[in-house]
Amino acid sequence: MARQEALHPARTLDVSPDLPVAAAASRPKPAGTERWLIWLFLLPTVLFLVLLLWLPFLQGVWMSFHKWPFIGEPRWVGLQNYRDLFGATYFWTTIWVTLLYSLSTALQLALALVAALALNQSFIRLKSVWRGVMLMPYAMPPVVVGAIWMYLLDPDLGMVTHYLLHWGIISEPIYWFSDPMWAKWIIMLVSSWTFWPFMFIIILAALQAVPQSYYELAEVYGANLWHRFRVVTLPHIRGAMLAAVIIRIAWNLAKIEQPFQLTGGGPGYETSVLSILTYRFAYLSGDFGMAFTVGLLLILVTFVLIAPFLRGFQKQVKQARRP
Amino acid sequence: MATPTQRSTFTQKVLGYGGLVLVLLTVLIPYGYVALTAFKPAEEIFDVRWLPKVWSLEAWRYAIEFEQFHVYIYNSFIAGVGAAVLALCVAVPGAYVFGRKQFRGKDVMFYIIVMALLFPFVLLVVPFTILWVKIGLYDTMPGLWLAYQVFIIPFAIWILRAYFAELPPFLEECAMVYGCTAFKAFWRVMLPLAKPIITSLMFLAFLVGWNDFLFSNMLTTGEGPRTASVIIYVSAVGGERVEWDVLMVMTLMAGIPPVLLYILAQGQFLKTFAVRGA
Repeated sequence: MARQEALHPARTLDVSPDLPVAAAASRPKPAGTERWLIWLFLLPTVLFLVLLLWLPFLQGVWMSFHKWPFIGEPRWVGLQNYRDLFGATYFWTTIWVTLLYSLSTALQLALALVAALALNQSFIRLKSVWRGVMLMPYAMPPVVVGAIWMYLLDPDLGMVTHYLLHWGIISEPIYWFSDPMWAKWIIMLVSSWTFWPFMFIIILAALQAVPQSYYELAEVYGANLWHRFRVVTLPHIRGAMLAAVIIRIAWNLAKIEQPFQLTGGGPGYETSVLSILTYRFAYLSGDFGMAFTVGLLLILVTFVLIAPFLRGFQKQVKQARRP
Repeated sequence: MATPTQRSTFTQKVLGYGGLVLVLLTVLIPYGYVALTAFKPAEEIFDVRWLPKVWSLEAWRYAIEFEQFHVYIYNSFIAGVGAAVLALCVAVPGAYVFGRKQFRGKDVMFYIIVMALLFPFVLLVVPFTILWVKIGLYDTMPGLWLAYQVFIIPFAIWILRAYFAELPPFLEECAMVYGCTAFKAFWRVMLPLAKPIITSLMFLAFLVGWNDFLFSNMLTTGEGPRTASVIIYVSAVGGERVEWDVLMVMTLMAGIPPVLLYILAQGQFLKTFAVRGA
């Protein structure tokens, strides 16, 4: 109270001690100039989002009902694109490899959790150095990380192949990016290696907000390491973990850089995750209608995958707000 | 943060150090090898060994003199700066209004903005290319700045709104009692208070421009403002024989600046990424 009064100028206090507060509370709508300010400030954001995001998106939905070539007149085909897609031989390959690729999120979460928990221990020194090192893969452009792994996994002169041969784990060089069995696992692993630090920052930030006294209390009650993690740590970071998982599932599925660079979607359709398939239709076949049909399916798959986590997150937020 | 009261058990120490070392090795082994490769002469690329027999700057000279890679690094820099400036002009006022003002349709609008975070951006490439060609933004730097905003703005508004909302209430009212207009209250009082988070979002927006490949590749041609990411992609999968030593030099040149930026601002980033309400 004393601090708030100190903010009030003396002249106002002469008239009425709580004038600013009362004025704000009793004001039903923002006054004229303020309303101008609100709309003026909102304008750029709204323009950007409508013109750059939602209009192109709606146009795309419209395009998905057409045969829409790069050059020439679009032709209305109704649901034909959808029928073609679901009937295509590669359709299930694509769905399967997309689901596999989304598993990368789980791997990222595991690495992030280990790293964040380790860095949150009080006995570890030079924390900011280690934290900086861990952020490296995420800070660099994904194409840079992709190029690095193309080099390390090169069948002739790459380090990985060399050591695997040297230790007798494999008997001949594997062409990781063009091998139908390995290619899909490799893009999944490389994307995990690249993007896990995003989850790591979010989880670490949440861990640092856990009050230390909770751990002390748990210890007084005789909780061991695992109990302390389950009863104190986990409930405090669950919300952050869920948020990170949601964002990463969506972003992992939408980011095409690395599969595009490493395999280009091949061999065949073995690594054509839905986002790559969209790209292939748009730029290699020039079939924009089909590209958007695939894109809409990608949105659908993304939402199906994040739905359970989204529900968990909402529940968590509600619980946190409860007094 | 280090608390002397909490005893660390032996298991805790083993798990802590073990996890740390495991993760650090996962990151450092690939980078270490790459960094050393950049100092090997071309003929040493073909055998796998860690230390170069002869330390050489040949690959660096080749990357700069022959490939002109510094030009593309400069392009990336301009792309990042433009993206950051444009993002601030748009997102800061928007987020301020969402954080501190009441108006009709606010919740629905905010929901629509945050939904955009989950949008698969690859879908926008097609309509953008068509539109950019039509309005003359294709193959220009401002065209790239504009395109990057679809990544940046939803995220920036999401983070900034929470920050503005948590500043003490009635600050603007107080400023207005002193004779500030609504705009001046924003400019003189709220903006300086939000400086730390704005700085950190500016870094992140810069990195979007620096790191992006999708739009930088699709919305430019060989004669236009190509960024370092695009050149690295072309060098790696362009179809010609790959000069690995030169490519590794390029990855270092394009990869190290953002890492330095992260390290400089990491405390700030940590606060930015703290998920609120959870």
